Amino acid sequence: MAGFSQNVTDDLFDSIIMADDRFHLDGYREGFEEGAQQGLIEGRNHGMLHGARLSAEVSFYHGFALTWKFILQNTEDVKARKRLKAVETLDAMIQKFPYEDPQNEKLQEHMERVRAKFRQVCSLLSVAADFREYMSGSEGMSF
Amino acid sequence: MKAMLQLVHRLSAHPDSRCWYVSWSPTGALLASCGGDRSIRIWGKEGDTWQCKSVLSDGHQRTVRKVSWSPCGNYLASASFDATTCIWKKKDDEFQCLTVLEGHENEVKCVAWAPSGNLLATCSRDKSVWIWEVDEEDEYECVSVVNSHTQDVKHVVWHPAQELLASASYDNKVCIYKEEDDDWECRATLEGHTSTVWSLSFDPEGQRLASCSDDRTVKIWKDCGTGDESVDGSWKCICTLSGFHSRTVYDVAWCRLTGALATACGDDGVRVFKEEAASDPEQPVFYISAHMPKAHSQDVNCVAWNPKEAGLLATCSDNGEIAIWNYHSDA
Repeated sequence: MAGFSQNVTDDLFDSIIMADDRFHLDGYREGFEEGAQQGLIEGRNHGMLHGARLSAEVSFYHGFALTWKFILQNTEDVKARKRLKAVETLDAMIQKFPYEDPQNEKLQEHMERVRAKFRQVCSLLSVAADFREYMSGSEGMSF
Repeated sequence: MKAMLQLVHRLSAHPDSRCWYVSWSPTGALLASCGGDRSIRIWGKEGDTWQCKSVLSDGHQRTVRKVSWSPCGNYLASASFDATTCIWKKKDDEFQCLTVLEGHENEVKCVAWAPSGNLLATCSRDKSVWIWEVDEEDEYECVSVVNSHTQDVKHVVWHPAQELLASASYDNKVCIYKEEDDDWECRATLEGHTSTVWSLSFDPEGQRLASCSDDRTVKIWKDCGTGDESVDGSWKCICTLSGFHSRTVYDVAWCRLTGALATACGDDGVRVFKEEAASDPEQPVFYISAHMPKAHSQDVNCVAWNPKEAGLLATCSDNGEIAIWNYHSDA
């Protein structure tokens, strides 16, 4: 008997003494869930924003490459053929771009190569085209 | 006889401004200098003195950081903080601006002509290295843009015989480039310096590369590859010269004629190193052969060996001066 009452008092005091600990744990669990949920939303928005920005840039280069390919395609001039070749290389690089896989470890490297190629093509074509300028230009259109 | 550096001449080349760089023409007869006063000056020896033969002042809007002679000696390329590179053509004793290469986003830090004379490399604070091709009609076209560095690219230099390019950067690294299917690619990255790499120089045979840095050391790298062109070179650091310089080492130059290695330092000194003849080629030992403390009253920015006259060394400084030295070897 003595042992039993001992147990009861133990549990009784336990629930009081350990309350702090328990609530702490419950709070942690609830907070963790809420935080995870919020983080997921934030992360999603962040990814969406960056993904959109990256895609816009790649698409800009793609459109640029396609247009110039069309302009240069029927030329016989040696110089223009060289330019066409560079434009085609740019296009081919964009075709191989790993859009579908945001965790691709080569994504950043690939992007740098596309940007470098684009700059070379711009120099060859003697056109001043900067994607960033193009973007800030459109941002400047707000009312 | 002990080796020494003897002052031959001192010129106020870019008064009230910095003199950033000097470059000897391939025949060694002319010296080109550039500076913060936006001008390029061409110097030639007349009798016992050095005279300014021409001033090229209408090409750039900002500091001219580096100049490079074409291997034929008929062209001069200049890299400027105004984001452009000018190509000057020598006609008799006059220089005319032939073309302006645009494309870098900001300050162009260096320009270098390939040994064939058909390629030109430029690098910039925009972190990129550009390779340009020259055709028979003196037209320049960009053949490649490479973004291998993560910071400001300070220097580019070509291999003395092969079409191999090396670049040094604020990201503490050195990159080695080769052409690959119409494009230039970084084939090796040399890591070891703990701060900005300021300059590079190949040895006379092109087997080794010297790099100098803000970490106050000079490193010697060797291509330990198999010699097979298709395999990437594996460059290894085989020697580090530390403890000699008390400040940033801004420039390093390997003499094609004597094999002596000169350095320009932020402690205003000029030093010449020589290799121990008996040292292991895989682990060479260099000793300081000559040291001229306070060679200039301010930072020494550049050292350049005359390509024809052994031991003739040109240096320039933040105080706008050029000094010409005679290095007498002890060996």
